[in-house]
Amino acid sequence: MKNDALQDWGLRLVVFAAVVGAWELFLSRSQNFLLPKFTEMVSGLFQLWFVDNRFWEALYISNQALLLGYAVSLAVAIPLGLAAGRLRWMDRLLNPYVGVLLAMPVAPLIPIVIIALGLGLSSRVFIVVLFAFVFITVNTRAGVRAVDPSLIEMAKSFGASEGQIWRRIVIPGAMPAIFAGMRIGLGRAITGMVMVELLLVASGLGRLLLEFSGRMQSDLVFATVIAVIIEALALLAAMRAIERRIARWAPDISVG
Amino acid sequence: MIRVRGLSKQFGGVDHGNGSVLALSEIDLEVRDNEFITVIGPSGCGKTTLLRIIAGLIPYDRGEITIDGKPVTGPGPDRAVVFQNFALMPWADVLANVTFGLEIRGTPKDESQAKAKELIKLVGLENFEKRLPKELSGGMQQRVGLARALAVNPKILLMDEPFGSLDEQTRRLLQEQLLRLWEHERKTVVFITHSMDEAVMLGDRVMLMTPRPGRVKEMIDVPLKRPRLRELEKSSAFLEVKEYLWENLRVMQVE
Repeated sequence: MKNDALQDWGLRLVVFAAVVGAWELFLSRSQNFLLPKFTEMVSGLFQLWFVDNRFWEALYISNQALLLGYAVSLAVAIPLGLAAGRLRWMDRLLNPYVGVLLAMPVAPLIPIVIIALGLGLSSRVFIVVLFAFVFITVNTRAGVRAVDPSLIEMAKSFGASEGQIWRRIVIPGAMPAIFAGMRIGLGRAITGMVMVELLLVASGLGRLLLEFSGRMQSDLVFATVIAVIIEALALLAAMRAIERRIARWAPDISVG
Repeated sequence: MIRVRGLSKQFGGVDHGNGSVLALSEIDLEVRDNEFITVIGPSGCGKTTLLRIIAGLIPYDRGEITIDGKPVTGPGPDRAVVFQNFALMPWADVLANVTFGLEIRGTPKDESQAKAKELIKLVGLENFEKRLPKELSGGMQQRVGLARALAVNPKILLMDEPFGSLDEQTRRLLQEQLLRLWEHERKTVVFITHSMDEAVMLGDRVMLMTPRPGRVKEMIDVPLKRPRLRELEKSSAFLEVKEYLWENLRVMQVE
C-alpha cells in the first residue's frame, strides 16, 4: 500500500515536472506575449496570496454564493434522491424533471435568473443550486436503488419499521453513492459560481478575472484559475476524509 | 407448532391474467415443536417462497398458517431467518451485524452487546468482532448470519439454503456446527436445501416438493438417531432415504 502510494506520487511528480518544463521551455522560445510562463504564473499566485488583498476579498464573496448554494443543493437534493429511490410514485413524479435538468444547459438560464432575482447574492446562490443539485439527486437515487434488497428483507424479518429500515439500512447503504454525488455536485457548484460571476454578475473571483484579462495580466488570470482549482481540490480532499470515516466499507465508486 | 393448511400463492396477481404464476398450491404442513424439518425439491418449486411466507415477509393468497394457534400476519419475535446470501450489512462489523436484530427489537444496548458477544463466541468468531463482512470467508459470514438469528432467541429458525453458496468442506463443517448448536438448544427449524445429503443428515423429516406449482409430494421420516454423526452417512438407513429422494427428484428433474 505505502509503496504504491509512493510510486503514484513519484509518477505524478514526473508528469507534472515534464508538463511544467515543456510549458516553460516553449514560452521562452516563442514570441507569445500573452501566455505567461509557468514561473510568471507562480509569482502571480504569490502576488495574489500575499500582496494583493483583493484576492481574499473576492474569494470570500465568491464562497458565500458557493457555500450557501451548495448547502441548499444538499438540503434539497439528498431528500429528493432518497425519496425517489425508495418511493415509486415519487420517482415517477420526478423522473421527467430530472431528465430535463440533466439535459438542460444551465448557462443560458443565467440571464433569466438575474432578471427574476436581481444582481444580488440570491441570483448567484440560485445558479449554483441549478448547477449542482440534480447530480446529487441522481446519485442519491441510484445509491438507494443499489441497496441490496435482501438487507431490507432481513430487517423486515426482525420486525423493523419503515423508519428503522431507512435509518439502519437505506441511508447507510446509499452513503457511498451520496458522497459520489456530493463530490460531483461540488465540482458543478464551483463551475456555476465562476460562470455566473464571469457572465453577468461581476463580483468575487469572476470580477477579478475580468479585470485581469481586461488589463492583459495573463499571469494573474492563470494564477486566479489555479487558486480556484486549489480551493476545489482542498474541499474535495476534506470531503474524501469525511467519506473515509463514514463509508470505509465501500469500494471507491466516485467519478473524478 | 407451525401449522400450514391449504396454502396457495400466486405471483403476478389474478388480474394480470396470463402473466401470473402459481408458485404454491394447497400446501399442508405441520411442524412440531423442536422438530427439524428439511425441505427439498427441484429448483423453482417454491420452497423459498414457502419459507418467506412462514417468515411473514410476503403475503399469501389462500389457506392459513398458524404458529401455536395464532395466524401469521407478518414477521414476529417467535421467528428468525437465516438467508442464503447471508444478508450482512457490509458497513457494519461482525458485532454490529449480530446486535442488529436485538436493537431492532428494542433490547437495551448493554444487554444486546453481551448477548451478541456470547453468540459470536458460540459460533467460533470471538476474535472477529471488529471485522467487516468483506474481510470474512463465506463460511464465517454465514456463522455471523446464524449468530444474528439466534441472538433474538427465536422459537423457530427459518433457514433458506443457508449453506447453498459455500464450498463442500465449509458446508460440512457448518452442518456439524449447526447440529451441535441444535442439540444444545433444540429449536423448531425449517431448513430449505437442494442437497440430498444435507436434507437427510439434518432433518427429522424431509419434505419433498414437486415442481411448479409447488405441492407437498411426501413427508419422509428420517430413521436416524441423534446426535447425528458423520459415520451415519455410511449407514444403510441414510443411504436408503437418500436413494429414495433421488428416485423421486430424478423423475421431476426430467421436465
